Amino acid sequence: MNTLRRIPAVFAFEWRRALTIPRMGWMLALAALPPLLLFLIRMAARSDPPPDVAAVLVYVLSPCVACMMSVFLWSTPAVSSELEGRSWTYLSVRPHGTLAVLLGKYLVGVSWALPVGLLSAIIGSLVITQNDLPRLIATQCALATLSCVAYGAVFLLIGVIAPARAMVLGVIYAIVFEVAAAFIPAAINLLTIQHRLRCLLVRWMGMDMSIAEESPVLLAYFGEESAAWHVFLLIVMTAGYLVVAALLLRYREFTAAAETAT
Amino acid sequence: MLIELNHVTRLYGIVIGVNDITLDLPEGAHGLLGPNGAGKTTLLNLITGQLRPTIGSVRVLGQSPRGNPELFRRIGYLPGTEGMYADVSALEWVTYLTRIQGYSAAEAARLAEQALERVRLTEHMHRKISAFSRGMRQRTRLAQAIAHEPDFLILDEPFSGLDPIARHTMTTLLQDWIERKRSLLISSHVLHEIESLTRSFLLISGGRLLASGSTDEIGSLLSNMPSEVRLKVQSPRQLAAELLQGGLAETVSIEGERDLRLTTVSAGRLSEFLGQAISEGRYLITEMRSTEDSLQDVFNSLMKLHRGLA
Repeated sequence: MNTLRRIPAVFAFEWRRALTIPRMGWMLALAALPPLLLFLIRMAARSDPPPDVAAVLVYVLSPCVACMMSVFLWSTPAVSSELEGRSWTYLSVRPHGTLAVLLGKYLVGVSWALPVGLLSAIIGSLVITQNDLPRLIATQCALATLSCVAYGAVFLLIGVIAPARAMVLGVIYAIVFEVAAAFIPAAINLLTIQHRLRCLLVRWMGMDMSIAEESPVLLAYFGEESAAWHVFLLIVMTAGYLVVAALLLRYREFTAAAETAT
Repeated sequence: MLIELNHVTRLYGIVIGVNDITLDLPEGAHGLLGPNGAGKTTLLNLITGQLRPTIGSVRVLGQSPRGNPELFRRIGYLPGTEGMYADVSALEWVTYLTRIQGYSAAEAARLAEQALERVRLTEHMHRKISAFSRGMRQRTRLAQAIAHEPDFLILDEPFSGLDPIARHTMTTLLQDWIERKRSLLISSHVLHEIESLTRSFLLISGGRLLASGSTDEIGSLLSNMPSEVRLKVQSPRQLAAELLQGGLAETVSIEGERDLRLTTVSAGRLSEFLGQAISEGRYLITEMRSTEDSLQDVFNSLMKLHRGLA
């Protein structure tokens, strides 16, 4: 409870610091990228793509790419920026200071990435198709929200595990797990956020999965569980990542002192 | 007890940061002295709970400092490195850190303003930290350490990089703190910086606690240590012979035509003898210098004593 009281202070302070024109420009550019690419695809196709194809295109560019990149830029350097800036010491000698900063920065990251995800999902849906728009927009917005929340926690954890190499490890994780492993129809893809989001897309958009029912490989790819189960697992995974990050923060030694190499 | 260290050792891999320090420090003001790389910051990191001792135990104000919110409410820390956010004002920064200390927004702002007033920054507290001079930044850093009215203030090289005026201001602020009967531990590698604040010192070098106590106690520890004296004299050979015969010098070394270097354990008797010899016109001494007046030399002497070489 003591930590919870301090999180709003961190949230408000970091938000104020983040409100700079270059940063807002970057976020707007990230939000504009998916609609722009979808517009180009639409122009090249010269017709409405089939509803399932349109849904997949918006999903890949918005909840996957735009959201993942936004939270990556915010959450991954949460600890390393304080260590590199040598401001960590001031936080670590305050009651629950580092935990409050960790969680406060996580919320700042999610709250900055969310508008990017929602904006790109809504405009992207409007650009790519006119079919079943309310359902498409609602699904993509829900997926964008879950994507920001879950990826934010993963990247935060990576930042705590290896603050000195956080950005590099974050990119490696995204490529190896969320891009490559998530598309391998084996047990490993069950551990990825990408797999859960993809299964939710299929269910919430009511996509035709009759082919998958005849193929165990495709079944492993799209899953058999209900949408509620996937949402539940995403929430559990997010909470798990945050708890592990908090525990690591509690027991590991982080110090900005130049002589400390631990 | 302010600080209790029980055989504290901290290793960084195979490098020793702090080596088997045992110490009981009562409440009050204390100076932690040591040359650069002596282990002062490591010791302060152990005291503030940022590091765990590899061996031994640390207690501050009767509590273990590692991840201890109760203790963190009672200590204020000014680290050796700056680490301030340049893009915010002094008031915003101090208020933010005071809020993390556990105060409400309004209370934190009030305490921050009060602390900035104490360090004489009220006029500039709305300016961005990036526009501050080194002295103003140090005072802002001090403000964040004292804003929550801690019982124990820990300062790591607070005078580092300050000009004489800023040093004087900082000294006055810390003298005020001590007068208010609050405890203070201040580290420095320059003795005179903290001599005006406290007479209680901890001398650390190579990660080891070489001595602790008042200046007199440390002085008496060094009284039997040979001290080195350099003289410029017209007839160094004759003087060297007389000093050795009289038991006033342990070793002598003649360098060139006029330079005499000697070590003595009877510095008082030696200066008495030389004074008399000059006044009687027996020797023409144009320069006399003790090479052991720097803190590093005191550390070297203590290190020899510590290793049983003296």
